[in-house]
Amino acid sequence: MQDNSAALQAPVVKNIPQRRSYGDYVIITLALVCTFIAFSPFGYAILTSLKSEWKSGDIIPFLQFEPNLLNWQQEFGSGGAETMKALRNSSLISLGATLVATTLGTLAGYGLARFKYGIGNRNLVSWFLSQRFLPPVATLIPFVLMFRDLKLLDTLAGMVIVNATFTLPFAVLIMRDYFADLPPEMREAALVDGAGEFTTFLRIALPLARPALVASTLICFAFSWNEFLFASVLANRDWKPYPMLVAGSDTVRGIDFGFVTTRMLIAVTVPVILSLMVQRFIVRGLTFGAVKG
Amino acid sequence: MTNNRAKYLFLMPGVIWILAFTLFPLLYSFGLSLTNYRLGRNPKYIGFENYAEILGIGDEKVDKKAVSTASFSAFLFLGSTASTLFFGTFVAWVFNHSLPFLRQMRAIVTMPLFAAPIAVGWLGVVIFNEQSGPINNVLEGLGLGRVNWFIEPMPARLAVMFTDVWQWTPFVFIIILASMQAIPDDLYESARLDTKSNWQLFRSITFPMIAPALGTVMLLRMVESLKIIDIPYSLTRGGPGSVTQTYVYYAYETGLVGSFQLGEAAALAYLLVIVAIVISSIYFYRVRERFE
Repeated sequence: MQDNSAALQAPVVKNIPQRRSYGDYVIITLALVCTFIAFSPFGYAILTSLKSEWKSGDIIPFLQFEPNLLNWQQEFGSGGAETMKALRNSSLISLGATLVATTLGTLAGYGLARFKYGIGNRNLVSWFLSQRFLPPVATLIPFVLMFRDLKLLDTLAGMVIVNATFTLPFAVLIMRDYFADLPPEMREAALVDGAGEFTTFLRIALPLARPALVASTLICFAFSWNEFLFASVLANRDWKPYPMLVAGSDTVRGIDFGFVTTRMLIAVTVPVILSLMVQRFIVRGLTFGAVKG
Repeated sequence: MTNNRAKYLFLMPGVIWILAFTLFPLLYSFGLSLTNYRLGRNPKYIGFENYAEILGIGDEKVDKKAVSTASFSAFLFLGSTASTLFFGTFVAWVFNHSLPFLRQMRAIVTMPLFAAPIAVGWLGVVIFNEQSGPINNVLEGLGLGRVNWFIEPMPARLAVMFTDVWQWTPFVFIIILASMQAIPDDLYESARLDTKSNWQLFRSITFPMIAPALGTVMLLRMVESLKIIDIPYSLTRGGPGSVTQTYVYYAYETGLVGSFQLGEAAALAYLLVIVAIVISSIYFYRVRERFE
């Protein structure tokens, strides 16, 4: 992750005069407004989760209400078994899917960056990306029948397959871009020394691609963690992931805001933290390489 | 091992995976759409009857719910795409300055994008709440009065749209910011000799330079906006009535809830697949050189 932090420290743009002018304060104010709009719903949710009794309009802790951790204790304490199980399910599903997607994505990404294929590399890239363009319902309906016949409904393997399929395009693109930017001479030199294609890949290319591997892993993990639609149909008992608990928050005791916001915040924490770690790779990963970040 | 065999071994696992879990289901889905399959009953081949029923071809009447949900999806397709492009570009312009604290704030601004959409929907439930939500409190404080976000059709549609726009503006923001940062400084320096107006600089330099990236982002946003289901699922449950039910949500409900009419749902989904194929073809045509 070294060059990641280096990129973050690079200057943004230098086309602005050096002295702080009136205009600079306008820009900083606008930036603060944007930051406030992006963050305040989370902030409001945090405050709400610290209230045990709902009183409308009270938002200032200590002054208007006494903050406490009752909602959090309840989520992990008395109602904890369900929570912990769903969090365990989410973790295992996301880990499995990430492992599969990153492995397949790294191999395919290396192939696409280093070789020319008869059908055309760009057609192969479209092949890998097509999944992101399809409306998920179109594949969800046959998945129900396929999984029923293969006995994969409500299993870890089934959920891993589903999420690996969704995240494979991110892995392929991130890895392809990174391998394409490595100097091709390295591979050629290794080949001349008598190393085979796979040895070259494992010993030379893969260690160099560690930052991209980290990025691919974190992005695949975050997106698998957030998946709800397929889980709602294919895993609604033993392998229920956490987003299903979030979705069902109102059926437990009506809408209890403290309870709902606590669950929402738990669901949101993991992917948001992961995203902050891979800022540099996000642009390419999200546009499927169309824009270089 | 020959070079030639090795290069296919790198590619094959991924290709087979997509074949098995994307292409095969897609063909399976098309097959289903030609049947009257309901879970627990024996499917019968009925040709294109499901499509005729949805579109109102021949003796059939057009499926009113398909039309109304499709029109809400179109509302999001236009409204959400346009709003995220506008706000995302504006925020990118603001953050494309070298001033203190902007980098730290930038990381916070991107946070909504990575939150699970199903959770973002619940966040909306709390924020838009009619009695106690902060939005109504602010509106009342400003003397504008409270809005019945979940009872009246138009406010409900807007609540879904605003929530989606809040989540996806950072997506446009990060990409457009990256493309603004790629503009060489000397372009601005020479233009600054002619004008001092920020708006003029934006129009004559920034906008033409970010236009290709904007086009790409627009296509990606269009595709994503057609897939919206998680946010209305948790924010409004498609209500009041079904005014905030998206087309995808309707297909989901038809095939996977209640009576499980898989054949009809597959036909509904397939009509959307056609739209997705058109948009993705434009996308791949635009970006084809990058991948050779």
